[in-house]
Amino acid sequence: MLEALLGSEKKEKILLFLFTHGEAYPREVARTFQFHLNTVQNQLLKLEQDGVVYSRRRGKVRLFGLSPRYAFKKELETLLEKALGFMPQEEVARFYRPRLRPRRTGKPL
Amino acid sequence: MNFKRFPLPDLAAHLSDYLRGQGIEVVLSGGACVTIYSQNKYLSYDLDFVLTSYVARRKLRETMRTIGFSEDGRHFRHPDTPFIIEFLSPPLSVGQEPVKNITEIIKRDKILKLLSPTDCIKDRLAAFYHWNDRQSLEQAILVSLSQRVDLREIRRWSLREGMAEKLAIFRESLKKRRAAHRLHR
Repeated sequence: MLEALLGSEKKEKILLFLFTHGEAYPREVARTFQFHLNTVQNQLLKLEQDGVVYSRRRGKVRLFGLSPRYAFKKELETLLEKALGFMPQEEVARFYRPRLRPRRTGKPL
Repeated sequence: MNFKRFPLPDLAAHLSDYLRGQGIEVVLSGGACVTIYSQNKYLSYDLDFVLTSYVARRKLRETMRTIGFSEDGRHFRHPDTPFIIEFLSPPLSVGQEPVKNITEIIKRDKILKLLSPTDCIKDRLAAFYHWNDRQSLEQAILVSLSQRVDLREIRRWSLREGMAEKLAIFRESLKKRRAAHRLHR
């Protein structure tokens, strides 16, 4: 969808994942798409270096998210939202529609 | 070059001037600007230089190595100074807006380009607004107490960032600090 612009299909998937999940850690992204962990880490570090994403430590993991201070954040989100609209619904449901609302402890699925 | 006796503004000016001579334009941002504008009431050890146009990492590495700085992950270090240098990718922006007016100061006959006091406050407030970072709020207040700043412009920018409620916290905190400041004089 946006790989022509972003130069990489993996980068597109990583950005879409962060956009739809809010925050994610590299292993979670790698596991979801069956990418090498190093590939995901390198892409995220490069995006962080360029100010597109931020990272912060939470316990033992490093979480990444789209940086609210990135000058083109709104425009990037518009592009990502549009890309989701062009994607097959099964793919969106499988990778990009996480449950974000809370679930009470002990509540059955 | 011996950087041992270089305080932060002098080192920043020296590096900025040197890089300009190598065809690399940078603008100082972040906590280092707070150190300069607050007359060391806040001391940063990070020199965050924003590149005004794209520069290959290899070129930066070689340029910095020539004056004794070695790459350490994303940063550059020199054995003679505790300050850590980082280069941030363009564009130079505060929140969603580009920075239009850049301030210049001269240290040891070298020109240092840096965020204006008003943009420095916006830069710190962006961290408070988006990360809820209270240290950044404190830094914004320190600069506001030490420099002439355009509070109307800060209000306009904050509202455009959608941060009316947090702007109110900044203004209220600043008001209290100004009152305390007057009492102690």
